[in-house]
Amino acid sequence: MKEAVLPKPLRRPEAPQYPAYDTAQVAAVLARWADTSGNLLPILHDIQRALGHVPPGAVGQIARALNRSRAEVHGVITFYHDFRQAPAGRHVLKLCQAESCQAMGSRQLTAEVEALLGCRLGETTADGAVTLEPVYCLGNCACSPAAMLDGRVLGRVTRAKLERLLDAVGRG
Amino acid sequence: MWSELRALRDEIDYGTPPRDGAPVTLTIDGVAVTVPAGSSVMLAAAEARRAVPKLCATDMLEAFGSCRVCLVEIEGRRGYPASCTTPVEPGMAVRTRSDRLQALRAGVMELYLSDFPAADIPGGWSELHEVIQATGVAQHPYGRGENHLDAPVDESNPYFLFDPAKCIVCSRCVRACEEVQGTFALTIEGRGFASKVAASQGQPFLDSECVSCGACVQACPTQSLVEKSLFVGGYRRADSP
Amino acid sequence: MVKVCVPRDSSALSLGADEVAAAIAVEAVRRGAAVRVVRTSSRGLFWLEPLVEVETPAGRIGFGPVDAADVPGLFAAGFLGGGEHALGVGPVAEIPFLKRQERLTFARAGVTEPTSLVDYEAHGGLRGLRRALSMAPAAVVEEVVASGLRGRGGAAFPTGIKWRTVAAAEAPRKYVAVNADEGDSGTYSDRMVMEGDPFVLLEGMAIAGYATGASHGYVYVRSEYPHAIAALEEALAVLRAAGWYGADIQGSGFGFDAEVRVGAGAYICGEETAMLESIEGRRGMVRFKPPLPAIKGLFGMPTVVNNVVSLASVPVILDRGARFYADFGLGSSRGTLPIQLAGNVRRAGLVEKAFGVTLRELVEEYGGGTRSGRPLRALQVGGPLGAYFDSSLLDLPLDYEALARHRGMVGHGGIVVFDDTVDMAAQARYAMEFCAVESCGKCTPCRIGSTRAQELIDRILRGEDAPANHAQLLKLCDVMESASLCALGGMAPWPVLSALRYFPGDFGLPPATEAARVV
Ligand SMILES: Cc1cc2nc3c(=O)[nH]c(=O)nc-3n(C[C@H](O)[C@H](O)[C@H](O)COP(=O)(O)O)c2cc1C
Ligand code: SF4
Ligand code: SF4
Ligand code: FES
Ligand code: FES
Repeated sequence: MKEAVLPKPLRRPEAPQYPAYDTAQVAAVLARWADTSGNLLPILHDIQRALGHVPPGAVGQIARALNRSRAEVHGVITFYHDFRQAPAGRHVLKLCQAESCQAMGSRQLTAEVEALLGCRLGETTADGAVTLEPVYCLGNCACSPAAMLDGRVLGRVTRAKLERLLDAVGRG
Repeated sequence: MWSELRALRDEIDYGTPPRDGAPVTLTIDGVAVTVPAGSSVMLAAAEARRAVPKLCATDMLEAFGSCRVCLVEIEGRRGYPASCTTPVEPGMAVRTRSDRLQALRAGVMELYLSDFPAADIPGGWSELHEVIQATGVAQHPYGRGENHLDAPVDESNPYFLFDPAKCIVCSRCVRACEEVQGTFALTIEGRGFASKVAASQGQPFLDSECVSCGACVQACPTQSLVEKSLFVGGYRRADSP
Repeated sequence: MVKVCVPRDSSALSLGADEVAAAIAVEAVRRGAAVRVVRTSSRGLFWLEPLVEVETPAGRIGFGPVDAADVPGLFAAGFLGGGEHALGVGPVAEIPFLKRQERLTFARAGVTEPTSLVDYEAHGGLRGLRRALSMAPAAVVEEVVASGLRGRGGAAFPTGIKWRTVAAAEAPRKYVAVNADEGDSGTYSDRMVMEGDPFVLLEGMAIAGYATGASHGYVYVRSEYPHAIAALEEALAVLRAAGWYGADIQGSGFGFDAEVRVGAGAYICGEETAMLESIEGRRGMVRFKPPLPAIKGLFGMPTVVNNVVSLASVPVILDRGARFYADFGLGSSRGTLPIQLAGNVRRAGLVEKAFGVTLRELVEEYGGGTRSGRPLRALQVGGPLGAYFDSSLLDLPLDYEALARHRGMVGHGGIVVFDDTVDMAAQARYAMEFCAVESCGKCTPCRIGSTRAQELIDRILRGEDAPANHAQLLKLCDVMESASLCALGGMAPWPVLSALRYFPGDFGLPPATEAARVV
């Protein structure tokens, strides 16, 4: 095997400038999980719970605490659909797209909700009120179609029912 | 110029790292071969001069099992195990060539080529091109579909560049950075079809945790990561034929 | 004091069970009625949820589906004494859907308070673990082997044999990792166990730990199941406090503890090796095998990986004996299977039956046909990677062999029903869309193939050179099936091929010959 062909090392730059975030909250989360093996997912969940997303700027702080690289942490964050790198809308509505809900009209329901909110799955309404997302089964298939609004599971969902609930949480 | 680069490599890449277990004898296409226990079927096949096509495997890295062109048939087993991740066993009878294996390898190569710059398929040398030759698959039946052909080239590093259009997401660069260099500067970002190589948090290589050691460049089987010095007058993507 | 049970199962909650419970409490106070509202879980009769059960001398009398607005009317009708009301369904245990089942694993579902250990023990809980602790670990393994229990997560591997491998492995540490990622559409039995009877899972885990020499467990629960996560955490705390989990269980010298880990939106993390990667804090990329997780699993140590229902079936096996369990079922499909009816079906719910019940009995007798009242056109059995069947196959028995003969699988026991408005080409396309969304991206057939398959189906549907694109789709499916690293890429072709086989017209293709239908 030949030696590496390139001269080394170059410089090792600092992490790029990302928007500021609450480093103290992240530090608290990191401290809480310090003694747990395989702690990256719980840490990311807790950071997201505290800050609403996992700020790209926090990746360096997490990596240092876990003695892993920023690349590794970034790879994990981007693998899992739950983790956001930017804040969501004030409310998150997930519509189930999987087979059981399809059998009960979720395709139609999705189209209606998209029209109602004026945004597609994966997007946030222009006023930042609602982020609309697909989800693949909520285990509520006996009561399809199913949805989840701000973490609350909904069953036998209709457009009217969703509209009522969105109004109740103040979608404006 | 590719032939020079080729010469820089060892004569034979056994596909998986050597092991030092007790000797195990098996047959590859009827030829008896003895290798240390813990070796892969792929290594045994290379020893028996019945090398199996491979893309994600190289003997400088641990086996990974992602590219699926190294499939073989093993007597008494169902399916088509990947030779790089299957350890040898005494008395194992392995077949490395059959119409069925050729069809499967060709099917996989067609998928690769459906997301690879068409102009770069003919000519050129890389391990991918070796497998193109070995399987005789130089085109694909899929027409134009979703692809990564327009992703921008990263030329930030003074010594090498990264052309994601040629990347087959074999992770050899990521693994070389970890296993050979211990730097962990690279990862795969996203998942599924959207999977792509990223330096640190998706930064240009020069702004990432990369230390420019070149291990990834040496590991890349497609010239997606490649030395700039090979391109007199700068890198240009080939035009479609 | 009248005991009124309102489920806290998440399907019931999704239909307003909390509001119903609150309304009953308020109305009781208003009327000065002596009522104790108890939060049980669901029986799995979901078309009746929220199902309110009133404890009477004649047993529990059910009312459902109840809306909070119905509550004053129920009081007015004297429901506390089991009075007549339009929502009354009579004695719950006598409802035919439930009465005809063979509930072993789900014996306590909807009966007990999920996190009351007193309730659990009063209904047969902890007897399996007690008996296990009185036996040699190897004897426990052999009891599970003899029961014929096969993994209920999908791959149907004999549970006892897996335990043998882990028990025989020498290592400084071993683990039990419970697969609670239940990602298959049309399935919810794991969720019901965790929400409705979390102790039975934890008891099964401890038995697995004792039998194999593992000291630590993980339950990997998908993030879509917040109520299951909460119930498990609560149940763990109760067991620890009572000395049934922790350093020295009931003075036996055997120590076992567990923690709950939460997934993050990745179907592939239900594949056992991807799940282990995820628990270790990495991308959920599938590992190649060998080594098997039983030899080199979590953190490189021997690991029992079992599905929730597999482990929840263990306590009854240890309590009543292998023979008792194996007497249910037939051939190599032993014991009971919790079948989950979903989709367009009138009576959606959980049916725990010995293997061998036919699809027709399930869908017509238990399920009562489609919810829409339109003719049934298709069934998908075994989740998003399972085959679609048409109504001509309704007489198939639901067991591992019978389905395999028709290129289908039991999977995790979900059946999704579709009426005649279904577009099977859209369903086939969705199977590949799902594979593309959820692929871990490691191996090429799945990573690229799932996207190409969608494009081919689109071309067939647009009528662009349909015969050639159809032929290419079949070739691609073959490559995915034979060359993928794991069963996501390897089985995503099944719904596509079965849809093509039984419903070619939906793709604008000529009818399949009889030969193509019979496999
Ligand atoms: C793509 C894919 C998804 C899977 N999802 C699950 C799952 O959600 N739950 C589960 O228990 N098993 C799932 N499995 C099966 C597991 O890999 C494994 O066989 C199982 O957890 C072993 O437990 P058991 O023997 O008790 O069934 C999945 C397999 C594949 C290939
Ligand atoms: S850049 Fe090269 S080595 Fe890295 S994943 Fe792509 S093809 Fe493989
Ligand atoms: S089949 Fe799909 S999910 Fe499975 S290893 Fe390959 S890419 Fe990953
Ligand atoms: S398929 Fe929608 S909840 Fe299961
Ligand atoms: S070389 Fe074996 S799978 Fe890639």
